[in-house]
Amino acid sequence: MDISVALFAYLSQYQPDGLGGRQPRAMRFAQDTSVGDVIGFLGLPNEPRVVFVNGRHAEDESLLSDGDRLAIFPPVAGG
Amino acid sequence: MSAAGSPGGQDRISPTDDAGVRARLAASHVAVVGCGGLGSNAASMLVRSGVGELTLIDFDVVEESNLNRQLFFRDQLGRPKTEALAETLLRITPDVRLNVRTLCVDAENLLGLVGNADVIIESVDRAEAKAMIANTVMRELPQVPIVCASGLAGFSSANDIVTEFVGGSFYLVGDLTSDVRDSLPLLASRVMVAAAHEAHAAIRILLGHPEA
Repeated sequence: MDISVALFAYLSQYQPDGLGGRQPRAMRFAQDTSVGDVIGFLGLPNEPRVVFVNGRHAEDESLLSDGDRLAIFPPVAGG
Repeated sequence: MSAAGSPGGQDRISPTDDAGVRARLAASHVAVVGCGGLGSNAASMLVRSGVGELTLIDFDVVEESNLNRQLFFRDQLGRPKTEALAETLLRITPDVRLNVRTLCVDAENLLGLVGNADVIIESVDRAEAKAMIANTVMRELPQVPIVCASGLAGFSSANDIVTEFVGGSFYLVGDLTSDVRDSLPLLASRVMVAAAHEAHAAIRILLGHPEA
């Protein structure tokens, strides 16, 4: 299945093309791939994050479907 | 009132309806989770704008190192931030309704503290707490808009701080990158820009004109 993956802030350096930037990239995964599987594939650090699929909040355990848009934000400290 | 329908375009107050704006804000309740640089300044802007009820949540006390950017005063050193802030807000608007909660939020107590609010402002400092608050609210209270802040440290351009609608009920303020853990200083000017963005994002949600 094909999904798009947008990584924000410092996470963008983990895009497989190495080009950074927040624009989404198209990726192909097997059926029943979860958000956590994609995070593992990309090698994202185990840091706080907020995940959306198609603009709705999602968990690492959420299963993805063909055409889904995955976006991952890492909150940064300061307040 | 409930702002739940506002992001969908319902209950929009006309920009020229001054009485309607005042009435809507007076009937509104915003929860401010964290009363430091972001929360103390955002709370004052909400009160000055006429928001009728705030819940102020923080566990910390006022320290001298806070005075460079947080809305506290030297004669408030050592006092709980919630109580000191409430005192200041009541000096601005004596009839504002304030719910003072002097404690540390966690995933267990958060919903009971913010569940009655029309909008939630996340204004804590640690990244882990920011993620916990955002994830817990969106999972358990998906109908309540939440405005979070990420990226306000340092002295790069204030124009890099923006308000974005991300999805669901989630609004994000900041430049997304400037991390205080990278030894960047917290300066009043830039912190207050982010605080103003958070307060204004909440006001726009309450008035039915959320950031798109």
